[in-house]
Order: sequence, then structure tokens, then C-alpha cells
Amino acid sequence: MTRYVARRLAFAAFLVIAVSSASLVLARLAPGDFVSQSGSTQVSRAVLDQERARFGLDKSIAAQYRDWLAAAVRFDFGYSMQYGRPVRDLIPERAANTAMLAVTALVLATLIGLPLGVITGSRSGGALPGVIRAASVVLLSMPPLLTSLFLVFVAARTGWLPISGMRSATVPAGGALLDLLRHLVVPAAAIGLPLAAMLERLQSQAMREVIDEPFVLATLARGVPRSRIVWRGALKAALRPVASVYGLIIGTLLSGSFAVEVITAWLGLGSLMLQALRTRDIYLVAGCAGAGALFLACGTLVSDLALAAVDPRAREMPAEQA
Amino acid sequence: MGQLLTRHTRRLAFSVAIALICSGLGAACRSNTSSESAAPAAATRAIPRGGELLVSVRSEPRSFNRHASRDSTTNLVSNLTQSRLVVVNQVTQAVEPSLAERWTTADEGRRVTMTLRRDVVFSDGHPFTADDVLFSFEAAYDEKGGSLLAEAVEAGGKKLQVAVTDPYTVVITFPAPFAPGIRILDNLPIFPRHHLDAALKAGTIAKAWGLDTPPSEIVGLGPFVVSQYVPGQRIVFSRNPHYFAKAPDGGALPYLDRLVMEIIPDQSAKLLRLESGQLDMMTSEVSPDAYAPLKRAADEGRVTLLDLGVSRNADGLWFNLKPGALGSDPRAAWLQRDELRLAISMAVDRKVFADTVFLGAGVPVYGPETPANKNWYWSGQPRTPHDPAAAKTLLASIGLTDRGDGVLKDARSQPVRFTLLTQKGRPNLERAAAVIRDELKKIGVTVDVVALDSGAVINAFLTARYDAVYFNADKTDLDPGTNPDYWFSSGSAHVWNLEEKTPATEWERRIDELMTRQIASPDPAERKRLYDEVQKIFSEHLPMIYFVAPRIYVAHSTRVTNLTPAEYRPQLLWRPATVAVIH
Repeated sequence: MTRYVARRLAFAAFLVIAVSSASLVLARLAPGDFVSQSGSTQVSRAVLDQERARFGLDKSIAAQYRDWLAAAVRFDFGYSMQYGRPVRDLIPERAANTAMLAVTALVLATLIGLPLGVITGSRSGGALPGVIRAASVVLLSMPPLLTSLFLVFVAARTGWLPISGMRSATVPAGGALLDLLRHLVVPAAAIGLPLAAMLERLQSQAMREVIDEPFVLATLARGVPRSRIVWRGALKAALRPVASVYGLIIGTLLSGSFAVEVITAWLGLGSLMLQALRTRDIYLVAGCAGAGALFLACGTLVSDLALAAVDPRAREMPAEQA
Repeated sequence: MGQLLTRHTRRLAFSVAIALICSGLGAACRSNTSSESAAPAAATRAIPRGGELLVSVRSEPRSFNRHASRDSTTNLVSNLTQSRLVVVNQVTQAVEPSLAERWTTADEGRRVTMTLRRDVVFSDGHPFTADDVLFSFEAAYDEKGGSLLAEAVEAGGKKLQVAVTDPYTVVITFPAPFAPGIRILDNLPIFPRHHLDAALKAGTIAKAWGLDTPPSEIVGLGPFVVSQYVPGQRIVFSRNPHYFAKAPDGGALPYLDRLVMEIIPDQSAKLLRLESGQLDMMTSEVSPDAYAPLKRAADEGRVTLLDLGVSRNADGLWFNLKPGALGSDPRAAWLQRDELRLAISMAVDRKVFADTVFLGAGVPVYGPETPANKNWYWSGQPRTPHDPAAAKTLLASIGLTDRGDGVLKDARSQPVRFTLLTQKGRPNLERAAAVIRDELKKIGVTVDVVALDSGAVINAFLTARYDAVYFNADKTDLDPGTNPDYWFSSGSAHVWNLEEKTPATEWERRIDELMTRQIASPDPAERKRLYDEVQKIFSEHLPMIYFVAPRIYVAHSTRVTNLTPAEYRPQLLWRPATVAVIH
């Protein structure tokens, strides 16, 4: 198990370095830079050159990458040109916000999706399962981007919830925590509802398979109430295949949250990375990409460890298949 | 061309000329009232005091220091937190007193003696004196410091001389006769020496007041001070209790207690927030796409929609006219010809352009000035007719002919084709490039439109590696004398052939000569005549092709009052101290 964990950690480290290096080099290779990105046709080339030198953009790509990598191994990921702050200070703040959004969305999706999946998977007919299935199909066919636009529209029309941002400029009655929760509703629902639909479909399928198992039929024959079998025995058995896809869901969560963060102005890694890309803040781009890769690596690692704990065969599989 | 998206624009060169004439007679020009005193309606009704204004910006500032950045948000922050010696009234274009309460001129307008207000202190309570003015010029001109403000306060590419005669008097000497005169002083925020002197001495003025600076250290003479900055989310400004200007009733300004600048990159989110009352105003004009929903909201009384008239700026198409830039590319034989540009101007239907790009809310333009620039617009500007047949004939005269298949070919039988760069993510630019492509296809010219980030587009023309560009070419000042970098062949905004060592063409040499005289002449009529001649030469060679100038619309919530809307950005906030909200 130790060897397995070490192998997976090494892979995660490699992933982070590869992604952030590629991001830095690609951002640097693309035409334009932080200085020219300000959109002005007005400043002389001499002034622009002076600005480039100030930000170290006059170095060759190779020299810049070498310097960055040498510093990065000491956990110094450079300074953000835009914010004038170390990248390693900026990333954790935003990563925490993304994590808050992702965890809330995941909890929301789990609390909604699994019970609904049990209902649709355990009943063969009726209006309720039909409505749930239809809603799931609609939500599954809508990317989080559209869901967030729709929810933002609803919030704007009704005035029930803030449309964007994380906190109000003035702390309202009810306190800062309530204010944060109110701001969290739209982005968390935008990510969580499609995920809930996915979990509902998976859970429904798993339930249908379990419900036909001989042990369920035998329990029913012994006179145990159907609802008790469904919500205890069958649910427990049906959870295993659903639990195995949580690693994938974490990856989906992250990519989905980037788009939602931009629409709802949630101050997470996604909006920071977009800002960094727009301004060609290359060290920040590399930092955000690396943090995103770290999120993904950690998510899959946790998922793999959970799988390995319950299925010893997984420990023997090559890393890339695990 | 002044500075893009930086300082206020100016109009009415006649008023400047009158000022110069006054000075020539040795008359003291104005003694003044506060620049804020002309606020509309202020004298006739009570303006509500207090409250909070919620505005949106598209992106974060790059700095709190105008020496370091010229982006629109940094400029807006500077407008809110700093003051200038004089202010150009964006509605009347007159130069008004600000920190300088009066001035006199001598030596044909070359020497200006400015008397400063005595009752002024910075937001930290430190007194403002002439030494701060001197410091601000030193900071702008410090070559080691790398200030981006230097070019904005130069006359004909040369520095002004500034001398302090006493704590409340400065003498500014222009290096040569300069007709726009002290208008350019509106470009220079006055910074506190007591806070930034160390940075100037260290040659790091452009690094000072970055976004990591604690708000309490950002000290200014403007109506507001930065009280909180949440990266990526908002900047909160509170009223500067030491602000020097007074309301017409003698009360303190600004009227607002707080101004919150929300950073909202997404246009749809901004619109929804404005419509739903979660935002008071956007700091940029309403895009054509947003007009219809905002008009509905205005009709329902939820927002106020203002038509500010035709823009003073139109986006433009230009070709790479740098000699030899195309190397051995055989298209060089026709790509840099005047006839090609004249044919394009004829081939594009400006009505179709206005309907497609601005949904009908635009007027055709044919030269560098739009009808909004009433003082400098050349009424004799030829109106190029939409005539595709004549365009084809003109192209045939340079060997680009249609051999029956509807596609123009050059002498080597190669299709006439070029790449047009434009900025990605700017719907007006992208739509316009598509219209140009479609209109030119009708005369057999193939255009490959490539949309790139603004930095990539700018990089392409800075390095002269492009065929053609369609981009914003905003002039920040209506007086052409303040835009030498656009007009002079050696200018840094002479975009079709940047920073020429000597004029590449005879017509550019002639424009250089005319503009040199135009900038120096104290006679407004002579200046107008010279500029008309410049526009005539421009229309004959079309180094930049203009098609349509949009109408400018802005929107704000109904609770905002006492605004002084102007056509140029920030249309509703160029005079922030007088804005009020009903609360």
C-alpha cells in the first residue's frame, strides 16, 4: 500500500510540474504579453521595452522558464505582474474559495441526487419517477455554464439572491456568514444540479440492478417491508458503483466550476486564471494551472485510495489505469 | 493621438485660442470658481447627500498609480482619488480651474504662471503646495522611473519646464509655441511628494502604489479615497473629508459617502444587475446588443437610458504601409497602394456596416474626425459613394482584375487576398471585420479575418508583421494639436508606419509640415484651415479607413441624480464629486 501511495504521489507531482510548465511556456509563446495586453496604441516602443524589462519579459523563453523552474523547486512560483504579490500567496486564497464552492456543490448533488436515484430506481412506474427522470435528462443536457446563466437570470428577475460576487460591499443584517451563504446558492446550484442529475441516473441504474438480485427477493419473501429493503439493504449495495465514480466527479466539478466562477464572479481559481490569461500574467497562469492539476491529482488520489482500500486488485494496477 | 482610454478628451479649440489671445494681451485669464460649480441643476434644487453608488468595471486596475498603468480602470481610480491643476470640462470642452485657481500667460502663451489654491490638503491632512506640482512633473519626466505619463504632458515631444516661485505659484514654460496650451495639464494627476519622493529618488516611481499597497497609503487630492480593495471583486471608495472643491451651496463635496466599484467581467451579469437594481451604473457605454433590453427596462421605469450622441471616435482599418515590411511577398505590389484603400472605402456599404455592427445606431464617417468633433470636423470631407463597380475599376488600374469568375487576380494570376487582424472578444470589432470581409467578397477580394487578443494585435503592428488591422484608434483629445503621436510620421501612434525616421512618403512629409504649423499657430482660424488641409490629404491617401461612428448610449439606475453626462468615458463619472443618489 505504501508503495502504491508513493507511486501515486509521484505521479501527482509530475502532473503538477508538467501542467504548470506547459502553461507558462504556452502563455509566453502566444503573441502579445502583459505589457502590450493593456490595449493601447499610444505608447512608444521605447516605453514598452522599458516596461518589458521591468517585468522580466525581455528574457528568452528558455531563460525565463529556467529561472522560474529553479525558483519553483523552492516553492517560489514568481510574482503576479498584475497584483504585485507572490503567486504562492494568491493561489491558496482562491483555491480555498473554489474548494468551498466544489464541496458545497458536491454535498448538494449527493443530498439531492442519491435519494432521487433510489426513488426512480426502485419504482417501475408512477408520475414522480417520470418527472424526476425528465428533470435529470434536462439538467444533464445543460452544461453548468447554461445552468448558471439561467439561475443568474432567475435571481435577477426575482431579486431573491445576489447575482454575482462572494460578499456584499456592506455586510447586511444577518451577518457575513449568511451573506456568504446567500452568494453561494447560485454558483453551487449551477454546478450541483447537473451533478445531482448525473448521480440520480447512476444511482437509479444501480438500484434497478440490485433490486432484482436474489437476496432482495428473498428478503421480501420473508416479509420485510419493501421500503426498509430499498433504503437499507439495496441502497447499501447500490452505492458501491456510484462511489467509484466520485473521483471522476471531482474532475468534472473543477472544470465545471471554472465556467461558473466566471459567470457568477465567484473568486475562485477559475476566475483568477481567466484574469491571468487575459492580462498574460504568465506566472499566475502557471500557478493557477498547477493548482488545478493539484486539485485533480488529489481528487483522483483520494478516490484511488478509497478504491484500493476496498479492492486490493486496484493496488496492483499501473498508475495510469488506476 | 493622446492616450487611449486615459484622460479626458477636449473640445472647443476656439476657447483655447481665445485664452491664448487673452494671454497675448497680458490679461489675466480667469479667476475661477471650483470646477465643480457648473454642476447641472445644483443651484436650483437640493441635492441629496450621503448614500452609496454601486458601479461596475470590466477589469481590475493594473495599479493605483497612473504613472504605472494606462488601463481604463486605473484611469477611473485616478479620477476618483486624484486631482489636476486644471480640468477640461467634458461637456463644454473649456479649461476650468481646479488645483490652480487662476493663471496668467505671457510670451505668446509659452509661459504660464499658475496660482494654486491655498486651502488644499491631501487626504492624509498634509498641505498641498507648489512643490507637489513640481514633484508630479519630475515623476512623469524621470526616465529611470519609466512613467507612462511623460508623453501626455509633453508639447511637441518636448518636456515642459516647471519652476516654483513660492509655495502657491508655479511657472510652466512650454518649449515652443503650443496652441493647445494648458489643456494637457489635465493629463497629470498631482501626487504627494511626502509619500512618493523616496520612490522617485530610487527610480521606481512606476512600481509605487501597486495593487498590494494598503489603501491607507494611497493619498490624493481627489473627492474619494480608496478604503478597501478586494482583489477580483471590488474597490470601495469613501469620501475624502479634505476634498477642496465645494458645492454651489457652499457645502462639502462629494455628495456621496461611498462609491463601490464592482469588478464584473461578464457583460450579461452587469446588465442583469443593473436591470434588477443591484447596480447603479456601468462605467462604459451600452453595447448595441444590450440596447433593446435596457430600452425595455427604461420604458418600464427601472433604469434611465441616455443617448449621448455620436461618438467622437470610430474604429479604423489600416494596412501595413511600412516600406519593405512585406519582404519578398509579391502582394507588396498592390497591398500598399493607395488605390486599394480607396477601393475598399468605396466597396463597403456604410449603411450595411451601421446596421450590422451597431444595429443602425451609427453614422457614416469618411475621415479621421466624426461629426461629433464640431470644431475640427472638415465639412468639405468627400463622402465616398458606395460603388462596387467603381471600386473594381480602380483596382483594375493597379492590375487586379476579374477574369470572369468573380475573383480578382493580380498580375501573377494569384487571387487578391489578405489577412485582417482584429481583437477577439470585442463584438463590434469582430462584427465589423466580418462585414468588411463580406463586402469585399462582392468585388472579388478575399479577406481572412483573424481575431486575436488585443496584446497580440498590438504586437503584430508594433513589429510590422501583418497585412491589415481593424482596431480601435481612439483619440482622447478633440484638439488635433494634442495628438502629435498619431499625425507625425515619427509618432508612436502613427500606426500604419510607426516611428518613421524620415517621412516615407511625400504626403506624410506634407502632413508633418502642416501639423507643425497647426500646433504652433495661435490663430484659431489658421489652425482650422491647416487641419482641414491635413484632412484633405488624409482623404486622398486614406492611411486609415473609417466607416461608421456609433451613437453612444449609457444607462444608470433611476436613483442616481445630478449627473453631467459627456460623450467620452467615463461618461457618467468624469465629474464624480457631483454625482448623488436618492436614498
